[in-house]
Amino acid sequence: MKTIISITDLEKFYSTDEVRTIALNKLSFKVNEGEFVAIMGPSGCGKSTLLNILGLLDDPDGGSFIFNDIEVSDFNERKRANLRKHNIGFVFQSFNLIDELTVYENVELPLIYTGVKPDERKKRVEEVLEKMQIMHRRKHFPQQLSGGQQQRVAVARAVVNNPKLILADEPTGNLDSSNGNEVMDLLTELNEAGTTIIMVTHSEHDAKYSHRIIRMLDGQKVTENVLV
Amino acid sequence: MIKNYFKIAWRNLLKNKGFTAINIIGLSLGIGCFIVIAMFVTDELSYDRYNEKADRIYRINSDILFGGTNLVMAVSADPMGETLKNDYPEVEQYTRLYASDGSKLIKKGLEHIDEKKVVHVDSTFFDVFTLPALFGNTKTALTEPNTVVITKSAAERYYGSPENAVGQMLETDDNGNTLYKVTAVVEDMPKNSHFTFDFFFSMANVNYDYGNYLSHNFHTYVVLKEGTDYKKFNKNFIDVIDKYILPQASQFMQISSMEEFEKSGNHVEYSLFPLTDIHLRSDRSIELNANSSIQYVYIFSAAALFILILACINFMNLTTARSSGRAKEVGIRKVLGTERKSLIWQFLTESTLISILALVIGLLFVWLSLDWFNGISGKEMLINSLFTPKYLVFILVLPFIIGALAGIYPAFFMSSFKPITVLKGKLSTGHKKNTLRNFLVVFQFATSIILIVGTVVIYKQLQHIQTAKIGFDKDQVLVVNNSGIPTETRQSLKNEIEQFPEIESASFAGFLPVSGSSRSDTTFSTETVMTTSNAFNMQYWRVDYDYLKTLGMELVDGRNFSPSFGSDSTAMIINETAAKLAGFDNPIGKKLYTADGDESQLVYTIIGVVKNFNYESLRQNVGALSFRLGNNSWETAYRFNTTNVAGLVDKIQSKYNAAVPGMPFEYQFMDESFDSMYRQERRVGKVALTFALLAIIIACLGLFGLATYIAEQRTKEIGIRKVLGASVANIIKMLSTDFVKLVLLAFIIATPIAWWFMNKWLQDFAFKIDLSWWIFAATGIIALLVALFTLSFQAIKAALSNPTKSLRTE
Repeated sequence: MKTIISITDLEKFYSTDEVRTIALNKLSFKVNEGEFVAIMGPSGCGKSTLLNILGLLDDPDGGSFIFNDIEVSDFNERKRANLRKHNIGFVFQSFNLIDELTVYENVELPLIYTGVKPDERKKRVEEVLEKMQIMHRRKHFPQQLSGGQQQRVAVARAVVNNPKLILADEPTGNLDSSNGNEVMDLLTELNEAGTTIIMVTHSEHDAKYSHRIIRMLDGQKVTENVLV
Repeated sequence: MIKNYFKIAWRNLLKNKGFTAINIIGLSLGIGCFIVIAMFVTDELSYDRYNEKADRIYRINSDILFGGTNLVMAVSADPMGETLKNDYPEVEQYTRLYASDGSKLIKKGLEHIDEKKVVHVDSTFFDVFTLPALFGNTKTALTEPNTVVITKSAAERYYGSPENAVGQMLETDDNGNTLYKVTAVVEDMPKNSHFTFDFFFSMANVNYDYGNYLSHNFHTYVVLKEGTDYKKFNKNFIDVIDKYILPQASQFMQISSMEEFEKSGNHVEYSLFPLTDIHLRSDRSIELNANSSIQYVYIFSAAALFILILACINFMNLTTARSSGRAKEVGIRKVLGTERKSLIWQFLTESTLISILALVIGLLFVWLSLDWFNGISGKEMLINSLFTPKYLVFILVLPFIIGALAGIYPAFFMSSFKPITVLKGKLSTGHKKNTLRNFLVVFQFATSIILIVGTVVIYKQLQHIQTAKIGFDKDQVLVVNNSGIPTETRQSLKNEIEQFPEIESASFAGFLPVSGSSRSDTTFSTETVMTTSNAFNMQYWRVDYDYLKTLGMELVDGRNFSPSFGSDSTAMIINETAAKLAGFDNPIGKKLYTADGDESQLVYTIIGVVKNFNYESLRQNVGALSFRLGNNSWETAYRFNTTNVAGLVDKIQSKYNAAVPGMPFEYQFMDESFDSMYRQERRVGKVALTFALLAIIIACLGLFGLATYIAEQRTKEIGIRKVLGASVANIIKMLSTDFVKLVLLAFIIATPIAWWFMNKWLQDFAFKIDLSWWIFAATGIIALLVALFTLSFQAIKAALSNPTKSLRTE
């Protein structure tokens, strides 16, 4: 099976006035295409930092990061943005929808930035909204929806571009259990359709949906258990 | 409690240094500007009020429309004052000023000083105008001929001290040489007077054909008795015209009644004009000094007020924009039991505190800029005048007014927050409820655009004046003053200097085509018998053979004066307007008739027509004018062709000094004299430029603050958009679009207003530029670029920020 992510000796530091914090300490692992990987660990272990680097939002201070056979650790802002918008979708704990835009407009946004034509955009947004069963809410604003519905919109937005990889940062953290399960089912469906998913979570329950759990502590991988 | 308010206020100011700085700088610019303009306006409005009888003193104005010439004069006929006093009991006193002689040479030791602030006055002058005597008695000082009253500073210059002056003899060049006895010394004239003189000579020494109601050469002022309505009094002039003026006029032209005179399109009117209005509302010919205009007082006041409002708007804008930062504090205070009223007071205390800081810095700006402002406005205002009780009250009250004005809206707005909502952190003061803020931004930019358009139009018009085809060549002409030099010496000097290789030609040129030069106009007719229908008024200048050549004037028909024609003493060259007024299609060879001083008739034959040239300001159309041969050697004009102008002036000066030692050498360049006609416009241009810059700076400060705030508010949104693939350019565009729309709206609103104002301003000029569309377009683009430039700092910063930071804050 093809490797989509390969990181080797990845390092990231945060420096304040006098203290230098090591967020990632020579971390290495690989993720294959079509995998569903959960990353777990206590607060401050470097999970979010890792996710930001994997999502090309942040650059590492050391080590190698090969995404889809390309070394990207030395990419500049523009190249990273370009790679990101075509290949990666994000799902956040706090949904991060834009309050001033409707459901439809929120989902449409990534397509605008990738330069998709209006006709095609309409088709694809409606398709994904149907799939997520929120078509009837397309003209509502985020505050008018429940948490579960908001996260479904966020997932719809993440997948509308058909990304190779979805990065989910505690996708159920702000949801009750039934809404949470719904979102996890949605992610599983996407994974089964071929999308690679990397999910950061605190929840053992959610982690069970994945194929493999990577546990981290102090910026390092401590264990790795394959579930399937 | 107050202490707590101040503590919180002070800490808040320190916490947001950027906002505080923008707020305070903006406000202090506004306040500084407001104070300077307040000083300026107060000064303008105070003119002539130092006179104890200021409210009862009036000047007699004359308005005469005769033969196509409209004379709007600040002077009247010599017997007018006395006639009014004799015939009408409401007239308590009158006095006349005669300033037509221009300057006098006054001897001090061995040298002669050219004194310009000289005037002949009636002995009643000090009865009408209030000028306290230091020595001598001004009531009787000028009753005798050969007497003079001088000011303190003149006394100090000539006699060392005022004490020594009284009784001294002052030697002048009147009639060659005349001695005047100093009979009194008065205080220097206040600066805010519509005339300022240092020497008041006795009227008895004016050599004048008195009793002539038809010549207007005296500035006449009357004092009316308390309670007299001057507008009603003006009706009396109709009787005065019938009783005194008509009989004199009918002696030299066929005229039987005023009705007949008026029917042929002519008009004569006299009126009293309030003394205190002269400085701001009188722009007549032969004013004693160039007056100002009430229009500028209005414009300046409005501009100052607008700039202050702009600054207050910034304050409101920034404070409400930032209010989400204070929301939690408001919530906690309310939970702890604070009433809304005391929250309002708290915020007002803060705004007042900022206003006080801004006032202090604003006063610093005033102190730093006053000299410069005096320079461009032609005033002599002092910072000390701010420490008089009148101003102190104003200055002390000002920060409270501004604090309330700028603070009241934010205070009500912020104190209205609901504690539960704000403590839950749900308050979104982002960019939804921004109607008011948008309105304020539009207001600021509209004001700036109007001021910029105004500035551009004024400068374009000034440039137009500089380069306008004025019908003569004002460059490379030096004019030397010959007063005090014997006539034969003038001629020999001219002959000698004419030989210099740098000199192209030279001419005795007492009459020059710039305002303020000598003028002489008289009535001509196209037939031997003058009637109201064949008569017209025209300038009547004596020139020599080289005048046209030296001043670069062009003949459109006929020929110039020439010594080879013996009959040229009765020849005349007229301008195009005169040819038109006379009704001559082919003027060459036609005759014009006029009465000489002794009432014998003079006949002139037209030999040439000179192309119209602007001999007055470009505000006026070119009037009828004629040249005849004659001597007027009180000034000599030299056309030169060298770039070493200083060297040439030195050479000419040494000739003059050698010929008449001890005589002051005075000269001017034609182009400079020409430019000085537009000093007022240039001043207004500079002031407008300053205001436009200030307005745009303040507007940009506000915009900068607002952009900072909005970028801050939208950090999360920007983060999300970047995660979803938005480029830096996308983000900058997104942040700028809203503001660009506002600036465009401001432009749409400002354009017609600016057009209206500037069109009105240009109407004062007979020769003016067109208000072309590109002035507005360019201004709009400038405003837009400045706004974009201001925004770009924040927009770029926001767009470049790392999205992981903004998204982590949840």
